Amino acid sequence: MAREPRFGYLVLLSSHPFPMTDPVRPITDAEPLVSVRGLTTVLSGKTIFDALDMDIPRGRITAIMGPSGTGKTTLLKHITGQMAGDAGQVLVNGQDVGELSRGQLFKLREQIGYLFQNSALLTDFDVFENVAFPLRQHTDLSEELIRNVVLLKLQAVGLRGAAALMPSELSGGMARRVALARAIVFDPMLILYDEPFVGLDPIALNQVLKLIRTLNDTLGITSVLVAHELDAIKQVADHIYLIANGKVVAQGDPKTIADDGSPWTRQFFGGEADGPVPFQYPAGDYAQSLGFPRSQA
Amino acid sequence: MSAQTQRNMVAEALAQIGNCGLFLLTILKSVPRSFRYGRETVRQLWFVGAMSLTIIMTCGLFVGMVLGLQLYYVLSIFGGTAASGTVVAIAIYRELGPVVTALLFAGRAGTSITAEIGLMRATDQIAAMEMMAVDPIAYVVAPRFLAGLIAMPLLCSVFCALGIFGGHLVGVTWLGIDNGTFWSNMTANVDVWKDVVNGIVYKSVAFGAVVSLIAVFQGYTTPPTSEGVAYATTRTVVASSIAILALDFVLTAFLM
Repeated sequence: MAREPRFGYLVLLSSHPFPMTDPVRPITDAEPLVSVRGLTTVLSGKTIFDALDMDIPRGRITAIMGPSGTGKTTLLKHITGQMAGDAGQVLVNGQDVGELSRGQLFKLREQIGYLFQNSALLTDFDVFENVAFPLRQHTDLSEELIRNVVLLKLQAVGLRGAAALMPSELSGGMARRVALARAIVFDPMLILYDEPFVGLDPIALNQVLKLIRTLNDTLGITSVLVAHELDAIKQVADHIYLIANGKVVAQGDPKTIADDGSPWTRQFFGGEADGPVPFQYPAGDYAQSLGFPRSQA
Repeated sequence: MSAQTQRNMVAEALAQIGNCGLFLLTILKSVPRSFRYGRETVRQLWFVGAMSLTIIMTCGLFVGMVLGLQLYYVLSIFGGTAASGTVVAIAIYRELGPVVTALLFAGRAGTSITAEIGLMRATDQIAAMEMMAVDPIAYVVAPRFLAGLIAMPLLCSVFCALGIFGGHLVGVTWLGIDNGTFWSNMTANVDVWKDVVNGIVYKSVAFGAVVSLIAVFQGYTTPPTSEGVAYATTRTVVASSIAILALDFVLTAFLM
């Protein structure tokens, strides 16, 4: 059955605190929205996650950080059921993602917004149709109502005037904002941002930062950010997880996480070239690779 | 090439065929759901069908003209140029029409389908659809498959018509075969069911299904890189060409 959008976007237009009337969306902090328990993932013989545990609290912005290749995007894929782990559980709103049928998974995904690193706009459609796409697929709303919802979402991201443009005519920052408008078109309970700041100039970066914070606060959305930009994360995140070697190596609020004194946080937040994450990719003996005789120690 | 490498290649080819078969079942399962994307199917029909008309018409005309010329030369040795129209029509309806149309269709439409789906995968558009709870098999793959299935017999009909027109142009207008003889021999000897239906309906539908399946399968399973898309488009042409010719032999044997 087609479902109606929840119109939480109206709060974006109002300075008054707008009550969230949806009884389905719990807004207490009691239970985390996403729980990862003992997640183990091995890809091409490499252990990406080794019994990873993590909780994403409701209504807050959680940042997941870590060195390149530690599986941050893979974790988002586990949360959305795009990828299954080798062991462990991922619970989203109490549902075990790995146990859901395809139909149930699609139902769950209607409540999740996902911002892709490259925006992933549908290149055959203009901006308006990109944002309208989920509405057309999952609702029987009238054309007039679809138009209103789409224009409200585009207004929220500041791109109502760009509704007729094609994706190829947009800058990186604009494409990211259109993708954000599309991700929030159903007022999801959870938004996952995969590297939302990559390639943005300082103006566009601040616009996206402001949008993430505003959407989270006004719509009561739970947000998960995967990013490397420490300054940006410090401005917007409520909680940071640092993952490395398949586990959470540090967590805390942005102000104190760097002070825990562990070599991981020291290297990552201090930007040190060498440390627990080695500068050199594992390789054989250097002298031998260059053809020199082995030194006799 | 070592025996082990050869065995691996054969095993890989068999695995590909098996995967392609499973993919076909997935498409067929999602066809009922794809009916709600009728506009998308019509759009694809325009793209793979109507947009292929120029190449199909041009090639059909020239194939018919060449056939008319060659047959006139050969038949004149035996004094049988009056049969030119019959032979042109039978050759085109039974073999050249469906086979050449399918080969052209694979080169024109099959490659573009593969490249389009491959690029959609490389740019995360397929993943984005899945994240928006839209089944990409029903929305992207099935409409293209159905469009290919519908477009092929129509294109084949156009090819055959233009081919016979080309044969007539050369045989009658240029080389002086009697117009009445050309048409009356043709209509007397060409059987609608055995020749026309077998070629335009059975063969071209089968070829349309095979080419469309290979095109969507290669596009959907391509590695999301520029090199992957390039290889996938090449594989579409190669695999389609081999499949068309092999299937043509099998169908001809059964439809004789």
